[in-house]
Amino acid sequence: MSQPAIVSENLTYHYGDLVAVDHISFEVGEGEILGFLGPNGAGKSTAVKMLTGQLLPKEGRATLLGQDIAHHAKQIQAQIGVCFELTNLYEPMTAAENLNLFARLFGVRNFNADALLERVGLGGKGKVRVETYSKGMKQRLMVARALINRPRILFLDEPTDGLDPVSSETIRNIIKEAQTNGTTVFLTTHDMVEADKLSNRVAFINKGKIVALDTPYALKQQYGKRALKAELVGANGQLESREIVMDAPDTAAQISRLFAEEKVVTVHSEEATLEDIFIQITGRGLV
Amino acid sequence: MNGQMIGALLRKDLVLFFSNRFFALVTVLALVFYAVIYYAMPGTVDETLEMAIYAPNLPPGFFSELEEGGVQLIPMADAAALRQAIQSGEQQLGVLLSPTFAQNLHLGQPETIHLYFAPDLPDEFKELYTLFFREISFMLTGRPLNVTVESEILGVDRGGEQIPYRDRMLPLFAVLILMIETMGLASLITNEVTSGTITALLVTPLRVEGLFAAKGIFGVTLAFSQAAFVMGVTGGLNEQPILILFLLLLGSLLVTGIAFLIASVAKDMMSVMGWGMLAVLVMSLPAFMVLIPGVATQWAKILPSYYLVDGVYQVLNGGWGWGEVGQHLLLLTGFAAAFLGLGVLILRRRFQG
Repeated sequence: MSQPAIVSENLTYHYGDLVAVDHISFEVGEGEILGFLGPNGAGKSTAVKMLTGQLLPKEGRATLLGQDIAHHAKQIQAQIGVCFELTNLYEPMTAAENLNLFARLFGVRNFNADALLERVGLGGKGKVRVETYSKGMKQRLMVARALINRPRILFLDEPTDGLDPVSSETIRNIIKEAQTNGTTVFLTTHDMVEADKLSNRVAFINKGKIVALDTPYALKQQYGKRALKAELVGANGQLESREIVMDAPDTAAQISRLFAEEKVVTVHSEEATLEDIFIQITGRGLV
Repeated sequence: MNGQMIGALLRKDLVLFFSNRFFALVTVLALVFYAVIYYAMPGTVDETLEMAIYAPNLPPGFFSELEEGGVQLIPMADAAALRQAIQSGEQQLGVLLSPTFAQNLHLGQPETIHLYFAPDLPDEFKELYTLFFREISFMLTGRPLNVTVESEILGVDRGGEQIPYRDRMLPLFAVLILMIETMGLASLITNEVTSGTITALLVTPLRVEGLFAAKGIFGVTLAFSQAAFVMGVTGGLNEQPILILFLLLLGSLLVTGIAFLIASVAKDMMSVMGWGMLAVLVMSLPAFMVLIPGVATQWAKILPSYYLVDGVYQVLNGGWGWGEVGQHLLLLTGFAAAFLGLGVLILRRRFQG
């Protein structure tokens, strides 16, 4: 892993007696995409609020780009971009007015709103009031707003939640492009497939604690089972499916018998999904 | 915090304020309404007392002393017409004299004067008029009462130059304009909190102090410019304009603090309207006390708006200058600072909650 862009050390927050985030520690390297996964109420949003300087930790500390967020929030916020889960745009204003406002707050010189809108697939829509936008367009505008200052760290909270496939794909491409340009991405999502596709590593958070943190591949290796799933024609002429576990002592013999004795139609390799692994670790689903 | 950030936020607030059609319409209509009301009201005070009278056979000039003293006699065709004029509310006071009134008066014979009062005339006025006619009777018979009456004017003698109602209303206009703007500003802030845009602003290099500075400048400018405009078109800036504008500026700071307080408790536009109307009613009370002389009491002085209303009123109509209004300015500054400080303190917690 390269030099860490984010370092969380025993980061803790509680609302009264309710512990929302419980001593979480992790690092995110520069240019890395970390998927931050957990069910509702697991502590994801509170963790993001502390990492972006919206909440002061009750215990522990978070260091972003080498500076403690509790003491240098404004210096850090100048270098990060945040895309919130809930749409919080100035809807009576146009898209360009929204972006120009934030460009001035970030002190971006010679800002070109049209170019950024073009980049997120909203070319030619700059002079349209945001209140007339569809949900997908608003979400793309939110992502565009988070990119105004060419952030070194990008926080994305459920960026594709409830979007149509085209909008989701556009946003995924923007995330990949940002990473290519060296941006670190902290991605909070429910979408396991998206997290699997985009993230270099994923962290599972449950009841305020990080319960697993590794690459998707390593997690699948550690927790998942590998199998072959075959479809074959049964004795009565009906299609049947059969599963062969890959790591069993007699796997090779089973495969040989399958092809020798059965009429195989299709064969697929099967591996655990991140959701399977999350359920296996926490005993609960992600919703 | 820098000028570029503040400028960007002000531009944004202006767009958002006028995109709320309700407040934009209220703002424009209110300005027109105040100016129209002001010019529709008479600019002078009618000092004559009208009195309907039916007095057959009364020699001309019999009541000349009364007429010279500001009483306008309205002659009626007969006793029935006189009664009708009073009953219909056309006249408040009617006098019926018998055909032999003048003659009997000279002969020293007993006579009766019939006074008719409109039903809604206060009892005190009825007693006053009764006493008034007894006195006239003595004057006309040449037998003066054995008493000496001395009179004294308390305060500035405004005989002949009473303050017209429309000039009494100017402080009310000023307070209403300023207070209505509290709702506009509070609504703007509440919308930003509930829609989460405040959160988006505060994860940029913008500090919360900068946000308050922008909101404060916007609120003060909005309220002050409208109040100054109405004062300007109604002639309220003809006397001591700098002093009036300074009073309005302090008033604008005060109402901006009130707007911050409303925004810190309001959850949506309806609750802004509810809290806002309550604030308007309370803060307007001193202005109504100026409109209806005699109802002002000591407790009105605990209301911050009293010092704005009384200050504006005394400068416009009482000829006060910086020296006389100094204490008002001091207290108004104190109230404005207290409300702004409290508003910022409470609202800040909501911004960062």
